[in-house]
Amino acid sequence: MPVTLRKQTEEPGFKEITRQYPDVPPLVILKIDVQRRGVCYTHRAISVMDDSIHQLRSPYIFGSRDAQLKPLPESLLLRDGTSIIVDPTPVEKNPYTVDLVDDKLVLVDNGEILEEVEYWPKPDYYNKKTSSGILMSYIVSARPQRLNIFQSGFCHFWKNDRGCLYCDIVTHFKQQRDELGIPAKLSAGDVSETIQEALKEPGRYTGICLTAGSDTRGKESFDEEVAFYIEILQAIGENFTTKKFPSQLIATAFNEKQLARLYEETGLLSYTADLEVLNEDLFNWICPGKAEWIGYQEWKKRLLKAVEIFGRGHVSTGIVGGVELAKPRGFTNENDALKSTLDEAEYLISHGVNTVYIVWVPKPGSYFRDQQNPSLTYYVRLAKGIHDLRVKYGLLIDYDDYRRCGNHPDTDLSRVL
Amino acid sequence: MAIVLPDEVVRLLSEKETVKVLATTDEKGTPHAAVKQTLHLETDGNLVYLELLESSQTNKNMVRSIWFNRKIAVTLKGKDGLSYQIKGRPVKAVITGPVFQKHYVDIRERLGDVDLAAVWIIEPEEVFNQTYPERKVLEESTRLYFKHLDRLAKPSI
Repeated sequence: MPVTLRKQTEEPGFKEITRQYPDVPPLVILKIDVQRRGVCYTHRAISVMDDSIHQLRSPYIFGSRDAQLKPLPESLLLRDGTSIIVDPTPVEKNPYTVDLVDDKLVLVDNGEILEEVEYWPKPDYYNKKTSSGILMSYIVSARPQRLNIFQSGFCHFWKNDRGCLYCDIVTHFKQQRDELGIPAKLSAGDVSETIQEALKEPGRYTGICLTAGSDTRGKESFDEEVAFYIEILQAIGENFTTKKFPSQLIATAFNEKQLARLYEETGLLSYTADLEVLNEDLFNWICPGKAEWIGYQEWKKRLLKAVEIFGRGHVSTGIVGGVELAKPRGFTNENDALKSTLDEAEYLISHGVNTVYIVWVPKPGSYFRDQQNPSLTYYVRLAKGIHDLRVKYGLLIDYDDYRRCGNHPDTDLSRVL
Repeated sequence: MAIVLPDEVVRLLSEKETVKVLATTDEKGTPHAAVKQTLHLETDGNLVYLELLESSQTNKNMVRSIWFNRKIAVTLKGKDGLSYQIKGRPVKAVITGPVFQKHYVDIRERLGDVDLAAVWIIEPEEVFNQTYPERKVLEESTRLYFKHLDRLAKPSI
């Protein structure tokens, strides 16, 4: 697909944007730009990486910009506790640099030191194995304060080539399976055992997040996906004294009966079904599998129904921020894209469905691999716009914030709600 | 610029009878002052404030302070009446890792079933003696007009 790559030097950079948006914290603006452009590590920075105390890259549901599984730091932490979930990025793509200066790890751009950063701490359970002999880090991966369970790396929308166009889930799943031996599907026993081990580390985790590719199979579509989540959630629940525990499921938009089962039969507290792009025409183009099996309007209806079941402040939808500008059928200017996205986000938020975004990173294993994500200005305005809507409608996002997730600039802002 | 706190303040911070009040401001500049006994001095000269509640007004204001480089103030009042104020800035919020986990375990041993939201590192920048008798002597020696005349009047016969 022919695309025109914008020269990033033509756009206002981090410093200029902090001056233009004095009410947005510079640390969050920096996080956004680092996610947008990626990072590379100097030899000095890598020399202080220590596998015994730092978390190196663990299995993840999506791939990275370098399309490699090299032992590098998982991600970074800023001094306000904000996570930067970011991939190693080839130098030719103009990423930020992580360097070691005066014994401190720092983010550098154009030779200027911008901020101190830290590598993520390694979980105690990472080197342990389940009784079935699998490395526990292959079963449950960690963020600074969250446990991630990717129970299945395959998305059935890809079966007839209708995977989302920005997504590399199946490409990455195959790479992890072939190079590392990551299980294609987790067993409930392995998950429960790993969670039990993780919980032995006091003060380490505040939430559990489950997500996987969509599974269309079942008597009613997606029944098998729902049943597997219930099995895994029940296994996790064996480790808690309370029926409900801080948790998030990011899954397909299920029907009312399926949602009720998830809520009633498990300890799940919150539910997320990602629309990915808040525009019906673009959704149909970018997410053809979701459009085929559920459809944009039905997806929205199911999110609203989920609010009735899980409660206000416990339901959300995620978007791949910036993908609404993908070529050739996306918006052609950022103002129109932002207005359209925020208008639709307001409809959802006003009905109790939170909207969060991740920075779109065109991945080598995706159809959109050669495209360019939007400007830093766009992402700052998007974060501020969504946060302002959350303030306007008094909608909390505690289960998907800077600590329970760390991958949404808009919810980084909402930690003061 | 970080300062080294005087010995008297170091002693105050170490005594458990000392009342410690942390004052912060919200986005509109409205002050919020609250007693925070989970505040102590670290060996590196920085103050450490253990925030137990993620949703507290102080925690939100501390986040704003680190985001927008705003000062906070800590007032200390000792058992002997000695009082000091320290002004400083939060420079780090530790929310994970070995330092966080050590404080998490310690605070739960001390206080029971509490949670820990953040370990705030505060760099002290200024310190003032707020003890009334000392402030009175200082004012009377430097601000000669700040007094009511009846205090200077000869006793009536």
